[in-house]
Amino acid sequence: MLFRLENLSHQYSDGTLALDNISLSFAKGERIALLGPNGSGKTTLLLHLNGILKPTSGKVYFEDKPLEYSPKALLELRRRVGFVFQDPNDQLFAPTVKQDVAFGPLNLGQPADQVKKAVDEALRLVGMSEYAEKPPHFLSFGQKKRVALAGVLAMQPEAIILDEPTSNLDPRGTSEILHLLLRLNKELGLTLILATHDVDMVPLFANKLYILNKGKLVSEGAPAELFSDAELIRSINLRSPRITHLFEVLKKEDNLPINPRLPLTISEARKEILRLLESGRREKKKRTTA
Amino acid sequence: MAILLDMRRGKEQKNKWHIYEEIGTEMSHFNLSAEIDRYAYTNALSKNSPVTKLLFALSLLLISVLSPSPVAPITVFLTSTSLILFCAKIPLRFYLRLLWYPTLIVALTCVIIALFFGYQEPLAEVNLLGLRWIIFRDGVATGFTTFFRVAGALSSQFFLVLTTPMTSILLVLRKARVPKIIVEMSLLIYRYIFVFIEVMETMRIAQELRLGYSGWLKKLRSLSMLIGNLFIRTLDQGERTFTAMSARGYDGNIRVLEDLPKPSNVALAGIIFFAVALAIIAYLTMDLRIV
Repeated sequence: MLFRLENLSHQYSDGTLALDNISLSFAKGERIALLGPNGSGKTTLLLHLNGILKPTSGKVYFEDKPLEYSPKALLELRRRVGFVFQDPNDQLFAPTVKQDVAFGPLNLGQPADQVKKAVDEALRLVGMSEYAEKPPHFLSFGQKKRVALAGVLAMQPEAIILDEPTSNLDPRGTSEILHLLLRLNKELGLTLILATHDVDMVPLFANKLYILNKGKLVSEGAPAELFSDAELIRSINLRSPRITHLFEVLKKEDNLPINPRLPLTISEARKEILRLLESGRREKKKRTTA
Repeated sequence: MAILLDMRRGKEQKNKWHIYEEIGTEMSHFNLSAEIDRYAYTNALSKNSPVTKLLFALSLLLISVLSPSPVAPITVFLTSTSLILFCAKIPLRFYLRLLWYPTLIVALTCVIIALFFGYQEPLAEVNLLGLRWIIFRDGVATGFTTFFRVAGALSSQFFLVLTTPMTSILLVLRKARVPKIIVEMSLLIYRYIFVFIEVMETMRIAQELRLGYSGWLKKLRSLSMLIGNLFIRTLDQGERTFTAMSARGYDGNIRVLEDLPKPSNVALAGIIFFAVALAIIAYLTMDLRIV
């Protein structure tokens, strides 16, 4: 297991209990989504994985060893587990894109030519090479977001934590980030852990889903499993993906013989529609021959 | 700063309906300093060694300010201006816009110097409602010289800011062993000033859309709230940036990649030669009478 949380609770100094007795584990190489409404504790949970927040009670295990909070251990952890923040303006502090991406590798004490190589490679991966010398305020929001990801990739981590990677992005930017993440997972075997409330994006991305509400872990499993429980999803101020909702209505209101495992994505919906059409045609044939 | 705000306001009046669309994307468009910044990165000389440009600008600044006669400063002004216009290819209109306000202020100051200063050799006498007013020759000379000194100094500094990206200036400062705290503070300030210009502009427009500036008293109240809010936002941003930096291994030192273009020896020798020649001109023309 890459990460294991054991009875993790976190209380902020103003008294809010942001995380309430959470136990879960994340395996290597997975694409994990934490889904929850605003204020459900997603970001707080993520900040524990990187050692930025310490649990009030409970423990965080990284590769089955409890997390250490000494500067040296933290540096090592942060090299292996990168964190991409929600607002790229929080993360991009350096006056040029290149300098910002170089910040992490330089902190690891790598020699300059190796850093340069890592920077070029990271910028190439996110498709921002031509902006290397530009200051961040010349970039669009989506471009800033990709540079923030490059800043983390340059440290060559094994896992990346992303807080709301698609929030405030236009449809094109969202799909670009999504494909980039899937490619990183497939080609480099990176473990990806992201927090989101974008329910339409989750089935396209995640193979493991955790649902949080008010600091508690409500449910965990494969996205298909969890989204089939529409009542649960609605009870915590989220909704099913649009396409799933459509099939739910067709099934309930129009009594179409739809598979109980409702489609979550466009491609699953397409298969289901083709299946329905095919069975309808067969039915018709049977009736005419009879 | 007041000048910048005024210029921005003038522009906003013209395209009031576009402001709303441009929030967040082209906010810096309204700002003169943001435009200078843009030219610093895009001008034809931006890739040249910042050491050379810094040395050039500083030596010209010194000579302009110290020269006793206007000859050297005029040379400096002409040199810097032609470099800005013909080598860096900054549009003439933009350069004139930059020069306009400082020139106005300096000209006014120099007229005052010419009229009120000096004590040798009366040049003219004016009778103003029974008051005798004497204008002295050396006062007028000082006024003239001061004007050209400032013009030379200004143009040499405009050369620097229009051709050299802030990032390279900071790298040179670091190399020149300017204290770390100053360099790192400037680096962060430079980055976040643009973030906060955007935040400020968005908040100001939000206030204006709710009629927060429709009267003198309301204006004062809205502005004070804006300033207070902005201050809190900066503290908050500091906190968040620190967290994000920690996540990438920040340990109190901001390390940067140093890959500046090497200064060419020919250029350095040229600058030294030019500076020495100017200094000699300044010395030889010390007693030049211009009036």
